[in-house]
Amino acid sequence: MENKRLTIALFSGSLDKLTAAGIILSGAAADDMDVEVFVLLQGARAFMKGIAENNDKLELAENPKLKAEFMESLEKLNVKPWLEFFREAKELTNVKIYICGLAGKVWGGEKLDDFVDLADDIVGIGECITSMEESDIHLFI
Amino acid sequence: MNQDELKNLEVHKKVDARGTACPGPLLAAKKALGEINSGEVMEILSSDEGTRRDVPKWAQKKGHEYLGTVEESGYFTIFMKKK
Repeated sequence: MENKRLTIALFSGSLDKLTAAGIILSGAAADDMDVEVFVLLQGARAFMKGIAENNDKLELAENPKLKAEFMESLEKLNVKPWLEFFREAKELTNVKIYICGLAGKVWGGEKLDDFVDLADDIVGIGECITSMEESDIHLFI
Repeated sequence: MNQDELKNLEVHKKVDARGTACPGPLLAAKKALGEINSGEVMEILSSDEGTRRDVPKWAQKKGHEYLGTVEESGYFTIFMKKK
């Protein structure tokens, strides 16, 4: 039986939504789903080298004043940093992470090397639409 | 299976995921499953309430056999058999 397919359009570059995306990705990995993540606008900034691993450069989308409390709680609960969810999911199942070409340019990222090593390629929106059409589930985060 | 039968099962893999929150126990179970053979039993220790339903549902969905859950003090143990 073919694996189910999940497509995520990841617009957000905020710590809370990136963490949520990572947790969903983990569930998909446990289910052996094939996943394609298309990283759009704000998300592309979060995946840039020098930013992805630095929580000081990322904020919360909701209740921004609670960032310190949010981060402390995650640490206390042994929840990994958001990027580690993506890394672990890639180790467990077929996960591809594509950076939107325009989004990369907005933040000064022209080349794949400008992004963390988890990024597989830089693509256009056509591939994202095709992936959504062909997947069993698609999410916009 | 009743609690005594579960406690007396021959276990081939023990996953201690206590102290981790969802999705930690699920991912730990998924990884450990690759280390046992078909028909072997794995136990997953967790103190995360979400995991109580999550792991059994996942196991059944993937075709494995969920054998039951044993309540312990401050945590619980989920038993499953690999398909």
